Amino acid sequence: MNGVEIPSRTNTIHDYRQRGGSIAAVFPIHYPRELLRAFDILPVEVWGPPRVTGSSGEAHLQPYICSIVRNSLSFIHSGSLDMVDLLLVPHACDSLQGLGSLLLDFVPPRHPVLTLYLPRGRRASDVAFLASELGAIYGRLQAITGYSPSKSELMASIHREEEADALLSRLHRQRRHISLADEAFYRLVRSREYLPAEQFSSLARDILSQAIHSKLSGTPIILSGILPEPASVFSSLNEFGAWVAGDDLACCGRRIYPPGHSDEPFQRMAERILYAPPDPTRGSPIAARLDYLLQLVKDTAARGVVFYDVKFCEPELFDLPRLRQGLLEAGIPSLAVEVDISDELSQPVINRLAAYMEILA
Amino acid sequence: MNLVASLRYTWNVDFLGRAALGFRRWQSEHQARSGSPWKSDFITPPLQISPWTKQLIARHYLEGRYAHLRRKVAWVTSGAPIEFLKALDFFVYYPENHGALCGTMRVMEEIASEAENAGYSRDICSYARTDIGTLLSGKTPVGKLPRPDLLLACTNICQTVLFWYRVLADHFHVPLVLIDTPFVYAQVTPHSIDFVKQQIEEAITVAEQVSAKPLQAGRLDQVARLSRQASQLWLEIVERCQSRPAPISVFDQFIQMAPVVEMRGEQYTVDFYASMLKELDERIARGVGAIKNERKRVLWDNLPIWYRIRYLAEYLAQHGIAVVASTYTHAWGELASLVDTDDPIEGMARTYLYPILNRGVGDKLARMKSMIKKYHLDGAILHSDRSCKPYSIGQVDQRDLVSRECGVPALLLDADHNDPRLYLEQQASTRLDAFIEMLGA
Repeated sequence: MNGVEIPSRTNTIHDYRQRGGSIAAVFPIHYPRELLRAFDILPVEVWGPPRVTGSSGEAHLQPYICSIVRNSLSFIHSGSLDMVDLLLVPHACDSLQGLGSLLLDFVPPRHPVLTLYLPRGRRASDVAFLASELGAIYGRLQAITGYSPSKSELMASIHREEEADALLSRLHRQRRHISLADEAFYRLVRSREYLPAEQFSSLARDILSQAIHSKLSGTPIILSGILPEPASVFSSLNEFGAWVAGDDLACCGRRIYPPGHSDEPFQRMAERILYAPPDPTRGSPIAARLDYLLQLVKDTAARGVVFYDVKFCEPELFDLPRLRQGLLEAGIPSLAVEVDISDELSQPVINRLAAYMEILA
Repeated sequence: MNLVASLRYTWNVDFLGRAALGFRRWQSEHQARSGSPWKSDFITPPLQISPWTKQLIARHYLEGRYAHLRRKVAWVTSGAPIEFLKALDFFVYYPENHGALCGTMRVMEEIASEAENAGYSRDICSYARTDIGTLLSGKTPVGKLPRPDLLLACTNICQTVLFWYRVLADHFHVPLVLIDTPFVYAQVTPHSIDFVKQQIEEAITVAEQVSAKPLQAGRLDQVARLSRQASQLWLEIVERCQSRPAPISVFDQFIQMAPVVEMRGEQYTVDFYASMLKELDERIARGVGAIKNERKRVLWDNLPIWYRIRYLAEYLAQHGIAVVASTYTHAWGELASLVDTDDPIEGMARTYLYPILNRGVGDKLARMKSMIKKYHLDGAILHSDRSCKPYSIGQVDQRDLVSRECGVPALLLDADHNDPRLYLEQQASTRLDAFIEMLGA
């Protein structure tokens, strides 16, 4: 298995439109795909994106705002999202909150902007609030599309996404038996950001059916952070003898949503989001994050953890010292590097990765 | 609590502390009355009430130092609903205020470096770095901080406080109560109010367990009433600056706001602000302004630059510029009308959803424009605060829109509220000079 044919974003959007569907550009991190799909709207996620000239974003934002938000604003200004029908900005941090607010008040795009507040806990009140919030978004989508999906349509959409998430989870668990290089594997995993669930599921089933019994060789490590950009981190790690055995990335491993339990659609969607793996932007305690990382290390036999963080990302930066200390106490050395998703991987970062891998080896 | 501990508290706080602080206040008031030389050609001498402010702040930290002898301690964020904690007799401590104190006393750098050496990035909030530095090293200008029995974080000022309080919870192993206030992009939704109300009720249950006493409805009403009175008085105080000349500057307000932030719900806070209001009215009647020659009046947006307050006050005053209104100091008074003393829990839920930092960038622009009109302002300084992203995002457009729609110059001043290493004096003064020129001062 040397590579995998994954439809491109552009083709996916084109095909979805061709058969009468609509497109939503969705910003990080958590949101219910199933709700949008029930309205026949395909969510296509925008994580920055990298390699976008940030100048038009810089015209509205100070230099200490992270490159994800800066690039997002530039990307919208560039007209690259003109083909979508609406924008959804979930709340994740102060900077993404600011992006949503700027889009609503000062720099409105051509299409409607919806916002979604994610509660920061797993209490019954959090689930109830999120269910109400999703109900409110249902109302907005109803007004925009003129369509009102029934309860059974909502549940069917939920089941479709739950199946895709179960397959995503299996891909992660069987990573060592999937003979794809890290970059190709994460291209596959991240196709969940734009492929319709049924298409992703079909792709994932194909890959899983080809899983082999032999194991990938090299030093297994865990990658933590928001997103693996610049993606050349994978080739650098592979070059230094490492492979990514598991991840705690906001765009990947932290979004392996479990199935919900409720028969009430909004409640079930809320359960799925709030019971996903620990995430600082959902208020998970640091101890829960550490336990999760230690379990991941154990399950994957990883030898180290690389924190690959976007500069100025407070949710990640606050947890780092205590996570690293906890890992060290468990005998797991870690490395923390900061990057700007607009830049190439810098030589000092590459050197630090090389030195770290030498230590692990 | 045993008898010995209670006696120790009484001796240290109520007897020795009160006497020492009372004497120091008397000494300062005496010096002011006897006309000790005031070293500024441009700024009016401080309010007569200033020694009282110092006494209140010093007493607050003294009570905190010995609080464990008599009461439970809660660490809270500055926008948190504290009325129920006060009613349950918690000592309420504000790490942000302690951070500001460290910034004002220029010890932040030394303390924050303790956190930075432990791996906390310089890109995280400088209040948080100061606080974490203190908890890792014990360094503080106030002697000793009380250990918390409970942490209460309310997200109505930023999400940073939750990231920060998770670190505290991990360090102290005490309950962290979260009051999550959904950000108000446009209108407050009924389900947001229900959510906050439910969380306050849950928080009360936890606080009752920690304090081992039930919340008395009568006591909660009393605290809510006092809280509302203090906020109303504060609002009247900041609104007195509509007078020309303004009787106090925003730089004075930054110092005088400490009690309304950290001592709400107390009779002595109400008495203090009632006296301050009286003194301001006397100043207005005599035509005394905060600066000696007020020619231009300006708005301040965002937190203060704590370590350069006096410098900025002096620098602007020498050009006849009085900074008389601020979105930040105003915020502590404008919610007063929402504090519902008939239904304190519902009132708290509504009140604590509404702060300026929990609302959209357009809402802040509207407030700024309204203040420019109401206070007859000639310009605006927007402090682009590296440590406070929710306050700072949107300022680039707000500056342009204030200029365009109000016809006044507006300046974006890059700094950090607490970390002097992120402030370039030369660059700031060059930009201030250009602004002063545009004001025609």
